[in-house]
Amino acid sequence: MPSENAIEVSNLTKYYGKLLAVDHINFTVEGRELFGLLGPNGAGKTTTIRMICGMLRPTSGTIVVSGFDVSQKPEEVKRKIGLVPDISNLFGELSARINLEFMGKLYGLDKKTRRERIDQVLELFQLKERENDLVKFYSKGMHRRLTIAAALIHQPEILIMDEPTSGLDPQTARLVREIIFDLNKEGRTVLLTTHQIDEADRLCQRVGIIDHGQLIALKTPEELKNSTGSQRALEIRIMNGIDQQKWLPILSKAEGVDHVFLAEGKIRVLSKDLPETIPTVVNLVSKNGGKIENISVAQPTLEDAFINLTGKTIREEPLSKEDNLRRRLSRSGMR
Amino acid sequence: MTTFKPLTPLMHSVYIAENDLRQSFKSVRHVVWSLLFPIFMMFTFSFRYGAIGPDPQFLSFLVPGVVGMTAMFGSINETMSIVWDKSLGVFDRILAAPVSSTSIIVGKTMAGAVMGFISSFVLLIIGYLLFGVSFPNIGLVLLVIVLASFSFTGIGTIISGLASEPREAMMLSNLLRFPMMFLGGVFFPVESMPMPLPYIARALPLTYATEGLRAVMSGNLAVVLFDAAVLVAYTAGTMLVGSTTLMKIMTR
Repeated sequence: MPSENAIEVSNLTKYYGKLLAVDHINFTVEGRELFGLLGPNGAGKTTTIRMICGMLRPTSGTIVVSGFDVSQKPEEVKRKIGLVPDISNLFGELSARINLEFMGKLYGLDKKTRRERIDQVLELFQLKERENDLVKFYSKGMHRRLTIAAALIHQPEILIMDEPTSGLDPQTARLVREIIFDLNKEGRTVLLTTHQIDEADRLCQRVGIIDHGQLIALKTPEELKNSTGSQRALEIRIMNGIDQQKWLPILSKAEGVDHVFLAEGKIRVLSKDLPETIPTVVNLVSKNGGKIENISVAQPTLEDAFINLTGKTIREEPLSKEDNLRRRLSRSGMR
Repeated sequence: MTTFKPLTPLMHSVYIAENDLRQSFKSVRHVVWSLLFPIFMMFTFSFRYGAIGPDPQFLSFLVPGVVGMTAMFGSINETMSIVWDKSLGVFDRILAAPVSSTSIIVGKTMAGAVMGFISSFVLLIIGYLLFGVSFPNIGLVLLVIVLASFSFTGIGTIISGLASEPREAMMLSNLLRFPMMFLGGVFFPVESMPMPLPYIARALPLTYATEGLRAVMSGNLAVVLFDAAVLVAYTAGTMLVGSTTLMKIMTR
């Protein structure tokens, strides 16, 4: 029975031994939607995706994909999904065409259909000229394109992509984003994970923020930005501020300041009462021997919302012991 | 839209095996390297007891032994590719496809058996060309090789289920293969071993493979059939254990 929703996740929970990796997550991805799961490394994104794809068994909770329960009809679900993993996991010792042939066979395509589809995706991703080269000689960008191509060979309704642009150079990342955008426009549901805030902002129609295994917000990027309420942002650049970083702890102690962090080389101060905060901040800087080069009031960003929700920036390092373990476990394949 | 085809799970296994073997046979160099070890072993042991030149009587003992040993190395190696697949992430590709866990295990087993069969068959030919050792009943020889190859794939799947990464798999497999190589009647007859080694030897599938191959040479059909039966039992047993351990990690 076809359902309107592409993916329905309810009360999804996963323990790795005693470690809680995914904690009672609920969300729904609508048909033809471009949905993003945003969160830092080790938040539980990959684990969630692996469970949706039927590669990992949930500890509890249910997942319904295109009307099929993953735990009961894993093979039906797998047929509906095209998965693009975060690392390009193609057979390096084989050529692109043979890699795609193998995928086509596993998805039960007959010889004629296989040939058509393979030609089609190789053309689409501009890999036709190199189709007979061993994949291990491919560049990173070609790897990623072929990985996406391999996920499309059975023309899935739903495309699931784990960190589709991570580790790519800016041009390739842009190309991949365009591909994702087009695939969604063609009518495919896309669920992607990312730890890049601007990617979620630019690409996704709705974003779920996930941290420590919990889904803490689910809104459109605009709604998330507006969720900061009366809070406003201030952008400051301090002169000779080679190390803007050292100002963060100083400014964070100022009264009325909610959060301080670096964004694109500027210090960003979030406060609910800017008229009060601006003089305080200015005084504090000069008292500590700094001169303000530039100060301005800024538009709320998704990152502001993220910080308000999680209390930290997304690229904050290092990972906690637990997050790191969660990350390792989800990525180690099976153990 | 999708019509049910009863052969689909089996075809999945065939595709997986084909894909595995395609990678193993991708480069001639790779194949040659993997065969050098048994060839060297055959050469080294063909000089026996300081005698000048190979001893023909010992050769007809040695060649079947090395053929059995090659089946063991070939099929365990090939089945262990699961561990490499896991570490490279390509195993995820198969897990994400609409393929049952059983099909995956059967596919890997097929690949292992084919690899064991092919490599030991090559050694059989080399043994004939170099030392003139031939078997009177080639059909029976092939039967024993096939059964032996299958019995070793089970060991390969057990290792794949236990090892979390390739290095661990290598250590585990060497831990099993090398004692088996020296106790399995490849170079020394089991009967000549001091106590309690014959008992250990009798617990190893390789012992039955080498004994079976020699029995074909001496025309002792009863022994051949007995050894074949033991190998079948071994295949069933190790495959049961192997698929259980593998299944556990596949459906975690």
